[in-house]
Amino acid sequence: MNLSMVEFLLQQTWQAIRRNGLMSLATSSNMAVALLILSGFFLMTLNLQHMADVEARKANITVDLEEDADAAGIEAELWGDMRVGEIRSRSKEEALEDYAAIMGGGDPESFVEALGENPLPDAIIVSPKDPQDMAAVADVARNIEGIAEVRYREQVTGKLLTLAHGIKIAGVVAAVLMGVATLLIVSTTIRLTIYARRREIRIMQLVGATNSFIRLPFILEGAFHGVMGGAVSTILVLASYSWVHAYVAQHLSFMELVYSSTFAVLFGLGAMVCGILFGVVGSVIGLHSYLREV
Amino acid sequence: MIHLQGVSVVYPDGTRALSGIDLQVDRGEFAFLVGASGSGKSTLLHLVYRELTPTEGRIIISGQDVAGLPRERVPYLRRNVGVIFQDFRLLPDKNCWENVAFALDVVGASRKEKYRKVPLALELVGLSEKEQSFPNELSGGEQQRVSIARALVNNPAILVADEPTGNLDPDISWEIIQLLTKIAERGTTILCATHDRVIVDGMRKRVVSLVGGTIVRDARGGGGYDEP
Ligand SMILES: Nc1ncnc2c1ncn2[C@@H]1O[C@H](COP(=O)(O)OP(=O)(O)O)[C@@H](O)[C@H]1O
Ligand SMILES: [Mg+2]
Repeated sequence: MNLSMVEFLLQQTWQAIRRNGLMSLATSSNMAVALLILSGFFLMTLNLQHMADVEARKANITVDLEEDADAAGIEAELWGDMRVGEIRSRSKEEALEDYAAIMGGGDPESFVEALGENPLPDAIIVSPKDPQDMAAVADVARNIEGIAEVRYREQVTGKLLTLAHGIKIAGVVAAVLMGVATLLIVSTTIRLTIYARRREIRIMQLVGATNSFIRLPFILEGAFHGVMGGAVSTILVLASYSWVHAYVAQHLSFMELVYSSTFAVLFGLGAMVCGILFGVVGSVIGLHSYLREV
Repeated sequence: MIHLQGVSVVYPDGTRALSGIDLQVDRGEFAFLVGASGSGKSTLLHLVYRELTPTEGRIIISGQDVAGLPRERVPYLRRNVGVIFQDFRLLPDKNCWENVAFALDVVGASRKEKYRKVPLALELVGLSEKEQSFPNELSGGEQQRVSIARALVNNPAILVADEPTGNLDPDISWEIIQLLTKIAERGTTILCATHDRVIVDGMRKRVVSLVGGTIVRDARGGGGYDEP
């Protein structure tokens, strides 16, 4: 493989793309749309999973202790359950400070004055290893002597994970459908190119071009559509995603999206690699059905 | 150089195109392959450039048995066997120079090699002046010269011609055959299928006659179309 060979192959490829004109445009566009849709599903799944993770890390059970309960004993008993991941105690003073902070950052002392005394109990905060075990751990806690009340926030994590799972399945279905359509279109385009070049291919065979040399321009043509589709879809996706990110940050600040420049670069590369893969496989299919004799 | 031993070809549809062919053509020899349409001339030539494998027999090209040649070796055989046809098979969107260079492009020749070999090949066929012309700007004879230049640019030991004058006027045909004999004198082995009686009679070269897929006559010392 020398320089003039590379030049020849690239020239052949580019000529074919230009000669196919509209069909080339349609193929690249189709590739872009396919990648766009796949990107959409990917980003939704990724973010739901990310949010579920964030929620899971926050998820815990508040175990309010009775007045003069044996805190150390209760902690020991809780540790006896395999599903418990973390235990932290919270005194009634800390509870009051937290409460004051939630209520708008007032001085905790002023609350005590207003209420006469601190009404909040001492508590133990329990985090299960797996957020799915929340209810089970809470049940265990309820049965321990000296516990006034067991509270935990209604499980969002599980719902997010279920949603993420559903979207992932829809994404896989979409990926298969779009993938098949893309492969079909790419292979049809390549077949058109082969047809347009049949005389040339015949001559190449007669003057002793190797099969791989004859095939390479077609593979490159498929890869070209992958690169074009990948680039266009990446630009569109990242532009709209950064808009969504800005919107969420401003209006839905409880949500947290995956967003960084490293992520953008990785995402672009991923889209490109997917596109090239689709393009090359599509070409190979087109070549296989039309150039068996080559 | 070309050596066929006991070769038969039966096409998948059952047509028996060649039977019991024994033929040897030496280095630098020029031989006509004559016979009516359907007598098996093209089939025999196909065997030489491995477009076809024989049903029976051995085909030795430059000392190598090509019947069992693995498919991936075929391109390398083809670089040693130039082929020309009745219909020239030039690329219409490439000029003469590019058409000839095409045979070098696809075998990965360097730029330097191209600039050395293409002018030599065009000079050999007498077309140096027309290197920038496109096929549709050339006469039939000139187009056939370009295709000869393309077939020879890789310096093959063998040149196979399938009715090279089939589309040409008699005097132009004559010029093309003269060119081919000149090329044979330089050491290229040439096997030329034709049913052009005038040319064969005029050249007094070796004549191999096919009838119904068998060799009925081989005038090794030179002869006419149907008399020794
Ligand atoms: N691909 C093919 N399949 C079946 N029969 C063929 C094929 N090519 C040629 N033939 C038959 O083989 C015989 C020899 O044909 P061919 O070699 O083309 O003769 P020629 O070149 O002398 O006209 C003819 O009967 C022809 O019909
Ligand atoms: Mg024929």
